[in-house]
Amino acid sequence: MATITYIDAINRTLHEEMARDETTFLIGEDIGIYGGVFKATRGLLEAFGPERVVDSPISESLIAGMTVGAAMVGCRPLPEIQFADFISPAFDQIVQQLARYHWRTNGTYAMPVTIRTPYGGGVGGGVFHSQSNEAWFMNVPGLVMVAPSTVRDAAGLLRAAIRSDDPVLYWEHKKLYRSIKDDLPDGEEVVTEIGRAHVAREGSDVTAITFGFLLHQTLKAADALAEDGIEVEVIDLRTLLPLDTPTVLESVARTGKAVVIHEAPKIGGIGGEIAAILAEECFWELDAPIRRLTGFNTSFPAAKSMEDYYMPDVDDIADALRTTAET
Amino acid sequence: MAEKKTQRKKRKSATAEEVVQEASESQAEDGETTGEGAAPTGEEKEGFQQLQRRREEQALDVGRSFPDKYRLSGEMEGASDEMKIELLERLVRTREFDARMRRLFRQGRFEGTFYSQIGQEACDVVIAIQLKQTDFVGPSHRDLGASVGKGIPLEALAAQVYNRVDSPDGGRYTACHYWHPEYWVMQPSTSIMMNWIAATGAAFGFKMLKRDNVAVAFGGDGATAHGDFHEGCNFAGVHNLPIVYVIQNNLWAESLPLSLTTAVRDLSRRADAYGFPGVSIDGNDVIAVWNATRQALVRARSGEGPTLIEMKTYRWFGHSDIDPADYRSDDEVEDWIERDPLPRYVAWLEETEVLKEGQLDEMRQRVREGVEQAIEFAEESPRPEPDSFLSEVFVHEYPGFDVRAGR
Repeated sequence: MATITYIDAINRTLHEEMARDETTFLIGEDIGIYGGVFKATRGLLEAFGPERVVDSPISESLIAGMTVGAAMVGCRPLPEIQFADFISPAFDQIVQQLARYHWRTNGTYAMPVTIRTPYGGGVGGGVFHSQSNEAWFMNVPGLVMVAPSTVRDAAGLLRAAIRSDDPVLYWEHKKLYRSIKDDLPDGEEVVTEIGRAHVAREGSDVTAITFGFLLHQTLKAADALAEDGIEVEVIDLRTLLPLDTPTVLESVARTGKAVVIHEAPKIGGIGGEIAAILAEECFWELDAPIRRLTGFNTSFPAAKSMEDYYMPDVDDIADALRTTAET
Repeated sequence: MAEKKTQRKKRKSATAEEVVQEASESQAEDGETTGEGAAPTGEEKEGFQQLQRRREEQALDVGRSFPDKYRLSGEMEGASDEMKIELLERLVRTREFDARMRRLFRQGRFEGTFYSQIGQEACDVVIAIQLKQTDFVGPSHRDLGASVGKGIPLEALAAQVYNRVDSPDGGRYTACHYWHPEYWVMQPSTSIMMNWIAATGAAFGFKMLKRDNVAVAFGGDGATAHGDFHEGCNFAGVHNLPIVYVIQNNLWAESLPLSLTTAVRDLSRRADAYGFPGVSIDGNDVIAVWNATRQALVRARSGEGPTLIEMKTYRWFGHSDIDPADYRSDDEVEDWIERDPLPRYVAWLEETEVLKEGQLDEMRQRVREGVEQAIEFAEESPRPEPDSFLSEVFVHEYPGFDVRAGR
């Protein structure tokens, strides 16, 4: 048994899966010699050599797009986009080519590609190192998105993604890299099923739906509310696309109340999609308006005071949950 | 449906009745064309259509004469006589298929549009015929010759044009975007240069997996302005990948003249920036294309790395068949028609006595029959079920995914 961090779980899983499957390779900026800007890929170059751990030029379109040809000839590519904020040059390749290629070829080719990318605020990174921009990809057919919130799921979802034959965009939260730890038994191959949310806390009064760093803030808020007799059910989405609608619907049908919490701006965010699904499929079970607690519809601010204001904190979340629960 | 079949039978069995066929085509062109905005109106229209047909007939007359200054000389290194003849047949097959499809499009026999490659065939066919079946080709939307050159049956290509169930993608993708998994021709993306990057990735995969394969990527002059041109070439240079990059410089990027794409005269000079050889050649000179591509393929296969080949060529017709290409001068088009790669190659084969008397006519007859068979196959192939595109979004199943519910 070893107590490891979220980033250790990612690093360890990459080591294990690359050792297991010789068709895997890593490609990304500063991932080899430097071991990654956060050290997520530390030691992999030494372990697997420069042919399978490729320090790429600053060419995000290439990083994402070359995986299509590589996958066609039998590789299992593991590209990294250094910051999710730098994914836009790769957008065309991801949404038009990689995500659609299986469909476009009438199912002839699978695209077993896992794109890892660090995202999220709370690290003082300013607009190009803080965004939670997963919603940009929400209406892309054929793309899978996972966002682990725990150490166990960081390992489990990464392993599942690497072994999946669908293209997976794996969102790793920077704020969680070294702020959470868990015990993962040595040698245990943790696998988290893609497409399944996790009920992180059971409750009967209101359902909180969230993921990433804000899961932990939401759990703290739920603890605080429990002291006042409000029981919050907390759903950790884990997979953002396709959403685990059955789990969300089952919970909200029971509590009758839902609050969706995320860092991204509200307009066009995942919260809107979840609210729409609830309105379509769970309307008669609702006892209160669906609420969304999100970042602002601005760019992400740099100064600590502004960043703190931008990010939903424990008090904001507790207030939102209490208001909805008491409606 | 029954009426259509009769028409088709009539055309097929009555090659002597070409006059009748022409007449019905003219009628279709006058009244029934589905090519929106296809042609100018009024009196001009008649002239435009006549000009198109005259040029198509020129294109099909691959034994016609041409100015002496365009006569070929030299030798195709390492090419047997059989290879030279097979190459001619695939060039002719590409052209006959292309010209036939243009007419069928004007008759409204299939939806969408058609991207004619007439004039540029040598740039594709000559390199494609040299590849192993497992070598990777990353074509763009105009590379019919890459598919024909690599040996894909015309039936699959015709079904692709018609968006029928026997198309490799079952009619769900995009007409004229030829591909075939068994022949390792990837599906081109309409978004320019995605194939360039994908072929680079395939070359990387071949190298990493230690396979004795090469990749070939095709792009146009306009595509060299795209960032992916740079990202692909640069990476291939750094990693010495087994790839040949082919730029078909046909002087026009849709309507954009080369002078507004680049200030560089020879696009092959760009290879200097990536640390591998670049060469500019006459893309309508089959011998020059053969020798340059052969060397580049040897280089790639022996681990010496990429080559960029600029082939200067010309597309006779519009960007697609709804484009009258009136941004170009007639003089320019006529000049390039004189440089047609096929008559030049035919004349050289005759001079060197590789092509025997009567052999070209036999070949054309055989090719035409093959084209007609392919069209018949495509027209008889069913239209896809309306909802058959709802599958294969993912490989795996997910508990929340429901394509009909929209979640």
